[in-house]
This record gives sequence, structure tokens and C-alpha cells, in this order.
Amino acid sequence: MTRSFLLAAGVLLPASLLSLVVALAWGSVAIPLGELPRVLTGEASALHATLITELRLPRALAAFAAGGLLGVAGALMQVLLRNPLADPYVLGLSGGASVGALLAMLAGLSMFSVSAAAFAGAMLSTLIVFGLAHGTGSWTATRLLLTGVVVAAGWGALISFLLAVSPTEELPGMLYWLMGDVSHARHPGPAWGVLVFVVLAALPLGRTLNVLARGPMQAASLGVSVRPVEWSIYIAASLITATAVTQVGAVGFVGLIVPHMLRLVFGNDQRVILPASALAGGILLTLADTLARTIIAPEQLPVGVITAMLGVPVFLFLLYRSR
Amino acid sequence: MLYRSTLLPALLAAGALLLSPAANADDNGSISVTDDTDREVRLDTPAERIVSLAPHITEVLFAIGAGDRVIGATDHSDYPEEASNIPRIGGYTSLDLERILAKEPDLVVAWDSGNSRSHVERLRELGLTVYTSEPRGFDGVASSMERMAKLAGTGDQGRAEAERFLDEIEALRQKYADREPVPLFYQVWDQPLMTVNDDHLIAEAIAVCGGENVFGHLDRLVPRMDREAVIEADPEVIIGGGMGEDDPTWVEDWRQWDNMLAVRRDNLFFLPPSLLQRHTPRIAEGTAMMCEELQNARDRRPDSP
Repeated sequence: MTRSFLLAAGVLLPASLLSLVVALAWGSVAIPLGELPRVLTGEASALHATLITELRLPRALAAFAAGGLLGVAGALMQVLLRNPLADPYVLGLSGGASVGALLAMLAGLSMFSVSAAAFAGAMLSTLIVFGLAHGTGSWTATRLLLTGVVVAAGWGALISFLLAVSPTEELPGMLYWLMGDVSHARHPGPAWGVLVFVVLAALPLGRTLNVLARGPMQAASLGVSVRPVEWSIYIAASLITATAVTQVGAVGFVGLIVPHMLRLVFGNDQRVILPASALAGGILLTLADTLARTIIAPEQLPVGVITAMLGVPVFLFLLYRSR
Repeated sequence: MLYRSTLLPALLAAGALLLSPAANADDNGSISVTDDTDREVRLDTPAERIVSLAPHITEVLFAIGAGDRVIGATDHSDYPEEASNIPRIGGYTSLDLERILAKEPDLVVAWDSGNSRSHVERLRELGLTVYTSEPRGFDGVASSMERMAKLAGTGDQGRAEAERFLDEIEALRQKYADREPVPLFYQVWDQPLMTVNDDHLIAEAIAVCGGENVFGHLDRLVPRMDREAVIEADPEVIIGGGMGEDDPTWVEDWRQWDNMLAVRRDNLFFLPPSLLQRHTPRIAEGTAMMCEELQNARDRRPDSP
């Protein structure tokens, strides 16, 4: 464990820093690399300082935090459901969040209220799935998964309905939100707080999660109280995902792909995978957002488009090599 | 005497200098107008570096003689032709905030229902002066022109253009508004099929021409329609835009329903969408074309002399 932990830290920590530097240095307005340190010392031109500190920095930090949260949430869901296809959204979370966000947009509310409504929608979805899967008491991961997938389908229908009845001028904003868009993110502070807390809290629980990943029977026989742990994971993953969604909208793919990539490289030890997912998710979304705002600038893309374009080839390459 | 004879003309000249800008400025010498979101927009001197956040705003800025001051515009700012050479700052739904800021504009003209409000709010917080435009109807188009011209220091030309625009509309209204009503269906989009209700800008053009929108009573500004409902309403005229400025395929598509009145009378008319669907003074031209087509339809009535 120690070796892969150090390896992961040795690779991902510098890469995280590098991704943030790239996000600050690279934009649709060309700023010489030398301006970056001068912003710190206050010698940069006022315009460059504004571009970097007011536009690029909050955006890069929001993308990193949201990506990290989605990575961790995906890793937790895959442990919980013991299903390689699980991602933070598989249980209908993004659907609930999207319905909340679209309703707020339809009502003409501010972006802050849209985020709040998205969070409320995600939590509502969590409660519905929790209540229904709990049912008469008998409970399995399959039952939870099936409940979640069907609830997600219900949200999907509601989303289509809302898109169909919304005024034409609201549609572009709605579609961008559904595809994930970091351009509205302003205050990454809370998301970072949640991210740091989750990673620190998950480290001592890593051993329990490792046992649980092998199956509930083994876990129970090794003295893990399976039910409470599973529900805690579910609630935690939901809160984490909801926080990410309030920052960047329904960015797909990060939570599915990042934990799998890391498992292929570092092995399936949750004590490594959870913190590594936080960093790798952050790196992926930060780089993806940098590309989204520059690749066809001044045209701006929703970040969700780029996460998949970057993630798919990397993942397929790792999977191919691991045979 | 010498003293006096030089002082008086000097005073007069100074007075004239003070008076001429006073037409566009308030007591402090700064310019102030109220935008369409009821915000006061104040400039110390007329705007010289303007960024336009929508194609129709670019068009209006050119119409009021401020085109050479537009240093950044969104995609599809394609009229007049010079507008195509203005550096781009993103699409109106996905603004490139970085580039807008880097242009260091002294005035940004935003489109309330098109731009993202959080992006516009951000620009304001970053210290830019933003005028938000959301013209309602023909009067709104005219008053937008006047207010934007005031900010750009082309007040006289703005007022003249606004007046000319309203005069053209008024002339059409005098000529056509009270003629025999023509029931019509206006097609904004094809898949899905969309029309407009009586609150839309296009409805005002229809009223000026003496038309009668068969779906004007619907609640939504841009209702999505079922083809059956149009066939059942059986309008005398079908008018539509298209994907381009010269693409009548949408209206021609109605020919397959050959027992519709509009098809039998050959009253399927294409109008270039940029002339009717943008809030610019060119809508007077589009309205004139619509009035002529509706008159053609009246002339094709069997009982017409």
C-alpha cells in the first residue's frame, strides 16, 4: 500500500499543481507565462492581473474542486454498488439536480438560486431512492441500483418535458447546464472545504471500504457492520455529488472513468484510490475546462464535451494495456 | 471698448460650446440614460470602445452611426457587411468574458433575454459599464436607438434614424392597417413547428399590415405547434422565415396539403428572417414586404375587383 500510495502522490500532486498553472496561464487572451509570477508580486498589468485573478483563478479552482468531488463520489459508488458501471449519477442524483436547476432557470432566478435548487433536487432524489430501496427492510446493492436507475429514468422524462415547454431563449443556458459549464462558478471555497474534509475523513475508513469492496458477506464476517457503513457511503457520496453539481452543472463521465483509470494503474486499494480520485478528477476537469474555453475561442464549449473527449482515449489505452 | 468687443463674442462662443454638448449631457457633463432593465447607465464622455453582445445590437449600433466604435461583437454579427470584420467575442449564449475584458471597452451593450444574466452581472462587477437592451415592439426599437445613440455620442443621428423608422411604420399603418383582415399563420421555425402570439414583435408587423394571426391568442410568446392545428385553422396566408436569408423550403413544404386555402390560392410567402425576427430598424423593410404579400393575398380573393 505504502509504495502505490507514494507513487500516486508523487505523480498526482505535481500534476495537480501543473494543471492549475496551465489553467491560469492559458486562456483565449494570450498572456506571456512570465506574467504569472508578476501577478503575485503586483507588477503585472492591471488587465492581466484581473484576467488571471478574477476570471481564471476562481474558475480553475471551481473546476478542480468539482472534478475532485466527482472522482471521489464515483469511487465510493463503485465500492457501494460493487458494479463497475456505477458513477455518481447512476442513482438519479444528476437527474434530481437537473430538474431543480431547470425549474429555477424557468422561474428566472439568479445563478446562486439555480445552484441551491440543484442541490435541493439532488438531495430530494437521494431521499426518494433511499426511502424506496429501504422499503420493507430487505436490502441489497442490486435493489438500490435498480431503484436508482428507475428514478433516474423518471427524472430524465421530467427534464425532457421541461426542455420542451421552456421558452426558446432559455434553452441554450439549460443545455449548457446539463452538459456541464464552469463559466458560472464564482465561489469555489465551499466545494474545496467539502473536498478536503472528505479526503481526510475517508483515509482512516479506507480499510473498512477495502473489506466492503470484496462483498457484504466477507465484510460482515470480518466484523464490519455492513448496513450502517453502506448507508453512510450512500449519503456521503450524494452530498459530495450535489456539491460538485452546484459548481459546474451535470458534468458526466469524470466520476465513472477516474476511479477505474486509477485502479488500472495503482490497484484496488481504497486508501490510495479515494485521495487519488480526488486529485485525478480535479486534474481532468481543470484541463478539460481550460480546453473548453480556449480550443475554439472565442467560442466557448460546455466542459462536459471535453471531459469525455479527453477521458475516453486515456481510459481505453489503459484498459488495452492492462490485458 | 476694445475690451468689451472681444469679450462678448468670446462669451458667446463659450456659451455655444457649452450648449451643444448639453443636448446630450446632464448637469455634471456626463451622459446618463435608463436601460431596458431600469438601470441607470452613466458615462463621463461618449463611448468610443463599444462591445456588442448580440447580432441585432451590432446592427442597431451601425444604424445610429456608431458602427466604427464597435470593437468587439458576437458571432453572426453579419449586417451591415463591415460588421463581419469586427473581432469576435464568442456566441451570444456563451460569451468569452476574457476577450471582452481584454478589449477594455468603455461600454458593453448586452441583450437581456439572450445573454446569460450571470455573465452580464460578472462583467458589471469587473467594472465595465453595461447597457442592457430588451426592446419591446416598434417603439422599443426606436427608443433603444435613441438611448444607445446618446451613449455613443451620436444622439442626432440616432434620433433622426428612430424618427425615420417610426415614420415608415406609420405610413404602412395608414395604408394597410384598416384593409380587409387577412387570417395568417407565421412560421418562425420548422422542426419543431413554431409560431408567435400577439405579444411578439412580429405580431406588431402583422397588425400594421392588416393581418390576423390565427394563433395570436395562445399564451406562449413562441408557441410550439402541431401541424394538424394549422391545417384545421386553415389560414388564408402562410408566411415563414427559413434557415437562411433565401431558403423558402419551410413554406414550400406546405404544398403537400393541397386543400388548404393558402396552398390553393398560392399564398405561401417567404420573408428573410433577419428582416422580421431581429429587433432592428430593418424590421420596417420586413414589415413593408409583409404588407405587400398580404395585399397580394387580398388581390387573389375570388371576389376582389
